[in-house]
Amino acid sequence: MTTVDIAEAPTREAIITGWYERVFPRVCQYLHKRGRSLDDARELFQEAVVLYYEKLVSQNSEVASNDEAYLMGIVKKLWLKQLNSERKKENLDGIDFSDTKEPEPSVLRILEFLKQTGAKCMNLLQAFYYDNSSMKEISSQFGFGSERSATVQKYKCLEKVRNSVKQKSLEYEDFLD
Amino acid sequence: MIEIQHLENWLLSRGEPTERLLTEVKVQLDTDLKQKAQWQDKTYQIIKAYGRQQLREEVTAIEQKMLSAPKYRSFRERILSIFKK
Repeated sequence: MTTVDIAEAPTREAIITGWYERVFPRVCQYLHKRGRSLDDARELFQEAVVLYYEKLVSQNSEVASNDEAYLMGIVKKLWLKQLNSERKKENLDGIDFSDTKEPEPSVLRILEFLKQTGAKCMNLLQAFYYDNSSMKEISSQFGFGSERSATVQKYKCLEKVRNSVKQKSLEYEDFLD
Repeated sequence: MIEIQHLENWLLSRGEPTERLLTEVKVQLDTDLKQKAQWQDKTYQIIKAYGRQQLREEVTAIEQKMLSAPKYRSFRERILSIFKK
């Protein structure tokens, strides 16, 4: 199997497009048979793509040759979860299904603030903490002279965002819950 | 930078175990450091939410392209035909 870095944007777009071409029609057939609409299929498949992506980057995994089966498995789990309105934590090969809800309004407000005031820092932090990119990849992607410079900038950004989160959070009571 | 890095290693269980243990002791003894650790932990949650939001936007854009661009007409027709049955 060829190693692909799904966290790299052009590769990611191609891989997600491939998932839509190969798996989404099956998802639609599966959900249509169960009385669901196209909008339901879109919503569930989008959620499945996000969860599968997070599994791949968190484990530094390659895209599996049986990715169709993985994605269908996640869709079925999500569908059952929706059907049963399950609240308890469930796992399928390290995928945390309890963690898919929309962020709290206070978190959304903080995100909006950070997007407007520090998108560059947030993109750098996202690359490291969410996409699990290496410092070498980040140096190249963000144009740093060395991995050391990228690391220093990452911690400066983290401190800046930490201060913003603290400052803005104190304004939004529900964030502290 | 050292302090924030040590807090990160402790919060995310990275780095040397002895360094993490030392950080844990410092956090327990230092109220100011404890608060910094709590805010840093919240910050990681915010970064995850941000990453997820960005990915969702990207996935939505891909989906919209595939359900509307001429290049993907046969794909779109295939999908719509499933729900016409």
